Amino acid sequence: MAMIEFKGKNFEIDEDGFLLKFEDWGPEWAEYVKESEGISEITEAHQQILDFLQDYYKKNGIAPMVRILSKSTGYKLKQIYELFPSGPGKGACKMAGLPKPTGCV
Amino acid sequence: MAFVSSGYNPAKPMENRITDIGPRHFSEFLPPVIAKNKGKWLWHEIVEPGLLMHKAEGGDEVYTVRCGGARLMSVGHVRALCAIADKFCGGHLRFTTRNNIEFMVETLEEAKKLKEYLNAQKFDGGSHKFPVGGTGAGITNIVHTQGWVHCHTPATDASGTVKVVLDELFEEFGQMRMPAQVRISMACCLNMCGAVHCSDIAILGYHRKPPIIDHEWLDNLCEIPLAVAACPVGAIRPTKKEIVTEKGETKTVNTVAIKNERCMFCGNCYTMCPSLPLSDQTGDGLVIMAGGKVSNRISNPKFSKVVVAFIPNEPPRWPTLAKTIRQIVEAYASDARKYERVGDWAERIGWERFFEKTGLEFSEHMIDDFRDPAYYTWRQTTNFKF
Ligand code: HEM
Ligand code: SF4
Ligand code: SF4
Repeated sequence: MAMIEFKGKNFEIDEDGFLLKFEDWGPEWAEYVKESEGISEITEAHQQILDFLQDYYKKNGIAPMVRILSKSTGYKLKQIYELFPSGPGKGACKMAGLPKPTGCV
Repeated sequence: MAFVSSGYNPAKPMENRITDIGPRHFSEFLPPVIAKNKGKWLWHEIVEPGLLMHKAEGGDEVYTVRCGGARLMSVGHVRALCAIADKFCGGHLRFTTRNNIEFMVETLEEAKKLKEYLNAQKFDGGSHKFPVGGTGAGITNIVHTQGWVHCHTPATDASGTVKVVLDELFEEFGQMRMPAQVRISMACCLNMCGAVHCSDIAILGYHRKPPIIDHEWLDNLCEIPLAVAACPVGAIRPTKKEIVTEKGETKTVNTVAIKNERCMFCGNCYTMCPSLPLSDQTGDGLVIMAGGKVSNRISNPKFSKVVVAFIPNEPPRWPTLAKTIRQIVEAYASDARKYERVGDWAERIGWERFFEKTGLEFSEHMIDDFRDPAYYTWRQTTNFKF
């Protein structure tokens, strides 16, 4: 487990670059992650997905299923991939500070 | 080694990106005789162990030599396979659904020469590189999984246990003296990647202790409701707990509680949640199952049934495992009728006879206790043998 510093903030991360503690999340985190996730600028659409993931996680304790993410935000899976090239799990959830997806991924 | 770019530009990751092209079409790799006679095969025969012949409508013949593969192989080994294919088969070869390797030639003389050549190749330790066999009513390759080589949920090792069992049964790979072909398969946890649930004999990695809960990290690393829902027996529930962290702070965290007397060590919760590890050196071991099959030949497909509740992990040579598998194979080979798979045999003679003939011990672990369907596995009849 490594500690990284970005814009004066410290983040504890794992070997895949996921935040270890959701409570450590800050806008700087998304800024820090975007490069490694192939995103040059965080647009309103990106932000909308990040906000929804965080709200859903706070309310339910889990990340939403892909169909719920699509239905609730209005972005089809294809559009989610256009926004987050690594996809909703490795891309969007990482950027939103959610825990790393588990199971037979 | 110094970094060597493939031409990929990390500053523009989506530029020149090729995607969704799928696998190469198999027809690009067909040996000419296969391409020519595709869909026109008339009949086939097993000339001798490891050697098949297919006859096509026009009279063409193709001879296939099948040899064992370790499945886990180096590029050096694959290159050695290619060298053989280049030398004997015009650069063509294929892998089977049980990870054997097949070389195809057009005459019997070539096939026999190839078989002899393959059987002569050895590793430095003495093991055969390309033992020929795996056809007909013998024992073919063991379909297996990752084990300690690569997975994080195993209760045993795959490559190791498979090497042990195939050493033990080696002479059966190059013979056809079984009543029917025997499929042995192996999975290192009860996720059962592969074929253990439907094989004649199956080796399965098994835990015997409930997970250890890393309370300090659980809520950070896991989606708690997923861990709760992962449990097939409702042994996990969410809870709050006061803990002292590694750094010595006292705090209350969201975590889970596991009822140990409900847990049956499936390890599903660990798959979903990194804070619930359960592997254990002495707790973990093997379960043996038997009697499954996937074909529709005479009897319908069957699930394999538990016949040995626990064999300890004994790396590197797992002697108890080797002995037990041999015991089952010998009992079956000497008692079953021609064409009977292990499951056909066990069901005809009755499982009480299966235990008697194999000398395996029956214990309460074999009696199904999982939900309503368990009832149907008990005996609702007076038809049994003493
Ligand atoms: C207190 C009195 C009795 C009790 C508690 C009793 C109980 C039972 C039970 C539990 C069964 C087994 C049911 C099953 O297989 O699921 C049974 C079967 C049977 N009982 Fe009784 N029984 C009693 C009296 C009698 C009497 C007086 C007769 C005949 C005159 C009788 C004749 C039978 C027969 C023929 C069967 C069927 C056996 C079979 O299925 O092969 N029972 N009884
Ligand atoms: S059977 Fe289990 S331990 Fe083995 S490779 Fe599959 S998931 Fe991993
Ligand atoms: S190991 Fe399996 S049975 Fe035990 S608590 Fe975890 S999910 Fe439930």
